[in-house]
Amino acid sequence: MRSLISSTLEDLGLPMKIDEAENGFEALRLLPRQTYGLIVTDINMPDINGLELVSFVKRNETYRGIPLVIISTEGSSRDRDKGMELGADAYLVKPFDPEELRRTVLDLLPGRKA
Amino acid sequence: MAARKRSTRGKGRRTKAGREFVSEAEEILERMREDLSQLAEATAGDGEADPELVNGLFRSAHSLKGLSGMFGLEGMSELAHHFEDGLDRLRMGRAHLDSAGLSLFDDTLTLFSSTLEHLGNDEARPEHEQKIVDLVERLDQWTQSPAGESGEEHGLDLPPTILRALTEYEEHRLNENLHKGRAIHVVDVDLEIASFEEGLAEASRAIREVGEVISTLPSPGDAPESQIRFSLLAATEVSGAELASRLELEPSAVRTGRETAHGEAEAPNKVSSTEGPVAHEEGVGSEAAAAEEISAADTPVEVKSLKSISETVRVDIRKLDELMNLVGELAIQRGAFKAIATRLAGDPNTARIGSELDKLHKALDRKLQELQAGVLEVRMVPLRQVFDKLSRVARRLRLDLGKDVSLEISGADTELDKLIVEELIDPLMHVVRNSFDHAIEPVEERLAAGKPEEGCIRIEAGQRGNDVVITVSDDGRGIDADAVQARAVERGVIPAAAELSRKEALDLVFTPGLSTRSEVTETSGRGVGMDVVRANIGALGGVVDLDSSPGVGTTIGITLPITLAIIQALIVGRGASLRGSAQLRARDTSAGAVRGAAQRWT
Repeated sequence: MRSLISSTLEDLGLPMKIDEAENGFEALRLLPRQTYGLIVTDINMPDINGLELVSFVKRNETYRGIPLVIISTEGSSRDRDKGMELGADAYLVKPFDPEELRRTVLDLLPGRKA
Repeated sequence: MAARKRSTRGKGRRTKAGREFVSEAEEILERMREDLSQLAEATAGDGEADPELVNGLFRSAHSLKGLSGMFGLEGMSELAHHFEDGLDRLRMGRAHLDSAGLSLFDDTLTLFSSTLEHLGNDEARPEHEQKIVDLVERLDQWTQSPAGESGEEHGLDLPPTILRALTEYEEHRLNENLHKGRAIHVVDVDLEIASFEEGLAEASRAIREVGEVISTLPSPGDAPESQIRFSLLAATEVSGAELASRLELEPSAVRTGRETAHGEAEAPNKVSSTEGPVAHEEGVGSEAAAAEEISAADTPVEVKSLKSISETVRVDIRKLDELMNLVGELAIQRGAFKAIATRLAGDPNTARIGSELDKLHKALDRKLQELQAGVLEVRMVPLRQVFDKLSRVARRLRLDLGKDVSLEISGADTELDKLIVEELIDPLMHVVRNSFDHAIEPVEERLAAGKPEEGCIRIEAGQRGNDVVITVSDDGRGIDADAVQARAVERGVIPAAAELSRKEALDLVFTPGLSTRSEVTETSGRGVGMDVVRANIGALGGVVDLDSSPGVGTTIGITLPITLAIIQALIVGRGASLRGSAQLRARDTSAGAVRGAAQRWT
């Protein structure tokens, strides 16, 4: 089963291969196995929340170059500010237009412009 | 980064003619770089300049001279002119290709590139003009340095028609081959006028397998209306009879002027190869003569290269990006298409039309994917482009640092997305410089450690699954993990009590605060700007790792995605959002809710 984020990303028409992690722990297990070009994470997750994941990724020499997008249902500006402070590259609040995600992702990928 | 570079380019590049000029000039320069690179390799190997490479460079310099002259760039044209002179001396055997010459040629190509880059930038002009004046002077000095050969005479039994038509360059080639003790033959090939190019190319190729084609003289054949005869002056390692059989010709079609020096007796008739006037050069401008001579000497090669040019198209990568974006937009449209199909299928009254539409949608989807793959493939270029640049840097470093280090390269045919390849140049350059500068020890130290005098840096590239892996390894002094850790503690990067594995300690080399200081370098043998390298590679979606054994050497591995365009994404979300998706999917099938779901996330 694919999450909404995955299926929307797949439908963006970008050549993309998607791995899914149900939570932060799983994400940490998956990270070293692949050379990821993009991370999209939810904020509200048990154990390791999205912000903690951002903090981990952006302080890790190996991973900090990976563009990271936070997606959250809440429009809380505090979460947003924290996320960006921790080094997230973009923050999207649901609901949003697929085109918005597409533009955001394209802006973050090296050498490409929407 | 590529985008930024483009935007700062001068106004001279903005006009269409300007862009075309730059594009063509860049193409010529790229070819020259490749030739020069190969030439440098060949020269390092057996110390002998491959005549075809020198000739290729000469032709390119000639084209560049004409092109920049046409575009009114006097400085560039002047530089190309003197470059051409130098190359001419070289191909005539009047100059010897030494490391000074190679580095001079290298400088010339670099100056051409930088002049192109700053075209239309008035501020940079005086500086470039001065550089051109300086380089022209150096080129002239090199060109005039004494070398070359005496006009020796050799015993040859060759038809005077051929000898008389030899250009100075061809005479030089003849002498060279006689020096080498090769056999000299004249091969007559009769070909149909209508289709002689193929046959001629074939014959030349067959001769080149065992030697060299010195000249190709056309004359009327036995049936002059339909046939043409080519007399190829060939220098080979094989006898006339063998050459004839290789070419599938009657033995009488090959006349032998001299057998190989290590074979049969020499021909008795003494004929000077420099004898007699070189008729066709008289009264002809030197450039025209050069052009004529080129076309005469290299007809088969020319035919081949013309063909490859006509089958290749240079494309601005931005155009490919636009195409890629179009594909993306199409895919979004296709998504809406699918939503309609699903809705129609859900209603018994329209189910049939819905399923037909769904079939169409699937077909469209497949074609879209093919289109996408096609565009991606066009963006792929071989790593050779980067590796050639590294070879040049290595050559320069060898001279500058006076260190004897060989650079071994393999896997240059490995392909990567063009943008990745461009962005790789700086980090790789950095790594190679580091190895030269800090890893490879001075000769005394190497000998004391029982290593060969010459240091070795090896670059290997290859594909592994969806990744391309590039490793740069050296046989230098290696990195002492304990020293790096001690340094990190001293700098306050890690606590004194930290217990690190060897690998973790080595990884500290990539820490910004640590790696920018040369002190680490002196004790550990590496570390200058490695954080920058890791950041650059990271920005490309790649990973850098390092392994090292003190006294044995260091290996740096760079793993990159084959194409920027395929994005490996990691989606992290809690189970709730998955359930949410399932619910929405279920609703998808009921008409009415579909439009909203297709357009927006909830």
